Amino acid sequence: MYDLIIVGGGPAAAAAAVYAARKRLKTVLITESFGGQSIVSADVQNWIGEPHISGYDLAKKFEEHIRSHADVVDVKMPEKVIAVQKVNCLNGTQPCDFAVETDAKNTYEGKALILASGARRRKLGVPGEAELDGKGVAYCSTCDAPVFKGKAVAVVGGGNAGLEAVVDLFPYAAKIYLLEYGEALKGDPVTQGEIAKNSKVEVIVNAQTKAVLGEGTVNGLVYIDRLTNTEKRLDVHGVFVEVGSVPNSEMVKGLVELDRYGQVVIDSKHGTTSMPGIFAAGDVTDDPYKQNNISAGDAVKATLAAYSYLLKRGKQSPAVE
Amino acid sequence: MKQVKIYTTPTCIYCRMAKEFFKKNNVAYEEYDVANDDRAREDMIQKSHQMGVPVIDIGGEIFVGFNPREFAKALGLQ
Repeated sequence: MYDLIIVGGGPAAAAAAVYAARKRLKTVLITESFGGQSIVSADVQNWIGEPHISGYDLAKKFEEHIRSHADVVDVKMPEKVIAVQKVNCLNGTQPCDFAVETDAKNTYEGKALILASGARRRKLGVPGEAELDGKGVAYCSTCDAPVFKGKAVAVVGGGNAGLEAVVDLFPYAAKIYLLEYGEALKGDPVTQGEIAKNSKVEVIVNAQTKAVLGEGTVNGLVYIDRLTNTEKRLDVHGVFVEVGSVPNSEMVKGLVELDRYGQVVIDSKHGTTSMPGIFAAGDVTDDPYKQNNISAGDAVKATLAAYSYLLKRGKQSPAVE
Repeated sequence: MKQVKIYTTPTCIYCRMAKEFFKKNNVAYEEYDVANDDRAREDMIQKSHQMGVPVIDIGGEIFVGFNPREFAKALGLQ
């Protein structure tokens, strides 16, 4: 029986592990990998204290910091949590413990749990996308941009991730169409400025992607111009999809309250959820700003709150281990 | 030991992870940078029928992406 189970390996999980270790909580951290979503970022420029760091190096630092507390924090990696259940509730005479089940068929039990499982890429959900995944449809521009050397490509999504994909493609693609559903790009002005200076890029706003075309490999993209309601076609050989994320909250569905997007509803003062003993932080929650620094800070709050919870609980129900 | 080839791009972190995995397990590999080597890029696309990196060729068996469990199995590692 652990004091605390941490689910995830990104900035929120890393911060939770470090603070749990400082409180000497017997902790297990379960994750598929370290670093979270920014691991694929070529250059993270807003992690406080690091003017420039690659997502990869940031991931290494998180892992190193977590593993430096191996005396109290067990790391289970790579393992994916598939379900969380409450156990040992004893008809409400004591607070519930939690059991998590992983894809490696292991079960871990703990008195409190911090869900820091983050989010994953949202797909477009249009015809052709799944069929042509990897065959011109791409989700990692830092990885795959060079493979599209000399080709015309489309980037779907005008937020920060979309803008960064365009920048990753600058040195390689012959032509880059940047499609945004709304009436203006949404990403940071700094990156928008870089893009505006590059003659390869054509920004298309009010564009709703309708389909990815191709037999075997991508040869086009169809979108609807939302102002004129007309269908248009772009001759492209690559489509980079950067349309936001979906929270990794499936494992707590039915156990904690989720909002209509599947995000875990938290009280942002303490990172508490609707289930006593389960705390959450980072991109899996309904916090509006999805940022590494915020995920880490919110996880610190959640961990300190979990620590108070465990202390209080200890007093109410003396050790049952 | 089976012959290992890895097709990479310079900024791809999953390529780095795969190379680190091979190094850690003392597996020799040949690396092809498809950002700069046009022929390797064509070979990679032909072999894997797709355009994502890394592509790993372990004795003719083709893998796309970083999957240490699968690599270990193909190489007969513990």
